[in-house]
Amino acid sequence: MTATGINEAEKIDVSVKGAALAAANAGKFDQLPIYDRAIECSSRERIRAIQLEKLIAQVEWTYERVEWYRRKMDEMGVKPSDIRTLEDVRKLPFTDKSALRDTFPYGLFAVPLDEVVELHASSGTTGKPIVVGYNDHDMDVWSDCIARLSQMAGVVPSDRVQMAFGYGMFTGGFGLHYGLQKLGCMMIPAGSGNTERQIQMIQDYGTTVLVATPTYALHICEVGERMGYDWATSTLRVGLFGGEPCPPGLKQEIESRMHIVCTDNYGLTEVMGPGVSGECLANRDMQHIAEDHFLWEVVDPETGVPVPEGEMGELVLTPLDKQAIPVLRYRTHDLTRVVTDKCACGRTHARMQKVRSRSDDMLIIRGTNVFPSQVEDVLTSIEGVTPHYRIIVEEVDGLDRMTVQTEIKPETFSDSFEEMDRFRALVAEKLKSVLLVGVRVQLIEPGGIERTTGKAKHVEDRRK
Amino acid sequence: MSVPQISVFLESRPGHLRRILDAFVEADINVRGFSASDTGDYGVVRFIVDDANRANEVLKAMGCATAVSEVLCLRLPDRPGELARVMGIIAERDLNVLYTYSLISTYIAVCVKDIPHAEEILRDEPVELADSKDIAARLDGIA
Ligand SMILES: [Zn+2]
Repeated sequence: MTATGINEAEKIDVSVKGAALAAANAGKFDQLPIYDRAIECSSRERIRAIQLEKLIAQVEWTYERVEWYRRKMDEMGVKPSDIRTLEDVRKLPFTDKSALRDTFPYGLFAVPLDEVVELHASSGTTGKPIVVGYNDHDMDVWSDCIARLSQMAGVVPSDRVQMAFGYGMFTGGFGLHYGLQKLGCMMIPAGSGNTERQIQMIQDYGTTVLVATPTYALHICEVGERMGYDWATSTLRVGLFGGEPCPPGLKQEIESRMHIVCTDNYGLTEVMGPGVSGECLANRDMQHIAEDHFLWEVVDPETGVPVPEGEMGELVLTPLDKQAIPVLRYRTHDLTRVVTDKCACGRTHARMQKVRSRSDDMLIIRGTNVFPSQVEDVLTSIEGVTPHYRIIVEEVDGLDRMTVQTEIKPETFSDSFEEMDRFRALVAEKLKSVLLVGVRVQLIEPGGIERTTGKAKHVEDRRK
Repeated sequence: MSVPQISVFLESRPGHLRRILDAFVEADINVRGFSASDTGDYGVVRFIVDDANRANEVLKAMGCATAVSEVLCLRLPDRPGELARVMGIIAERDLNVLYTYSLISTYIAVCVKDIPHAEEILRDEPVELADSKDIAARLDGIA
């Protein structure tokens, strides 16, 4: 018998394919690894105390070293000494993407460049990229976050991790690489692309963990199936997803076809990169925020005023021990809700619901608000189509027209335009009942919607 | 007497048909006739080939949406007025034709809802039905 009273013989080996998920489904969370139990399972009071101590120090650090923030705070009449409680964070200025863009490249850096050990950038759709730097301390914090979320999915030091993210300036590749290495995993830096080779490498090296975007993971799955690769007997056990949101339907499909357990994490380059929060196996729709490293707020996207706990709003993040580029109250534009009750997995850190929509990807179609995630939900509920889709919005004769392109499954096809039109009408009807606005549906052949290795581009707004 | 036909669901975009034809070339599949029709948004391409089962396997392996069905094949004497005459018979006998296309000019594929019924009706009419072997023999003769 061990100190916890669990018989050694009953100990579940999470490195066995399927074991972690089976343990979670059986409620045996004491059998699953937790990277930093002292921090991840500490009391709410202790977490708040850590946060307050760090927040005060972080605001001082920022005010002293970054002119941009000093000017902002002076304009608002706020001094670091005004921060005495966690709620006082509301006195601080918001930061959005433009602050990082306007100060390109080094304007927000709080440490001499000599001290910076790594530089990353996010492409951004227009203009200059967002550049971020990390010193040794920042890299440690980042790796810590990644190691935690990896263990949430049941990743252990003996795992062999194939990185199918591109490396380069994007934070996903190296961020996960260092964190998983810190955990003790063997990293296989495959990079993205060359799908047949990815499958060959899984086979040759006995890869157990795949890091990829969910879209690319599905592509690897499909190519493997076509090559006759048997995912059921493959060594692959875990998928760590990122780079784009992973809708539940897509995740389920990948899990059942590849015979792996998949989790995804949340993060943004502006506040660190991937790893701000990670999914545990207790509730697959929620992600634990690394609260000792990030202070979260949920605000009304219009007014910036905090909403009551548990309600939907825009996530605002303040990294609490970020030295190279401190960021105060970063407006993520991601819509979510956050709860602080204890999770069945044993962790006490707050959980945010997976981000399904952004305050800025809301489409207004003939006066009605439409989120791409709603389209996704409807399509995943329809047998006969794949999870791949595209939305095209255009103006026709002065009116908005929204077209949803959806890929049919091979078995849906019947050689009759009549039947295909009936199926198309059914999809259109279901979409209309949820979106409350009529859409045009276009059926696309299987594989006809481009698979991307980066963020899947779902919406094309051709208006103006 | 009918012949197998393979239908493929394709988005109406250039290049997509080419991908399929290339696969047929690679698999040494001989296309004896085809028709492409579309609604503007998507299309269906129908093929009559020398080995329908193998062609279907090739397409399935490519992940294509396909359907195999049977169509009638009528052989027309190579004379002016034959197409009008045969279509006249079909119209007079109220056969519900879904679509029709020609293979080589004197062979036309005709899709009807009820093949046995159509065969029954056409048996007493002055039209000649062909099967895969007939088509092969005819084409081998002119090749
Ligand atoms: Zn949990």
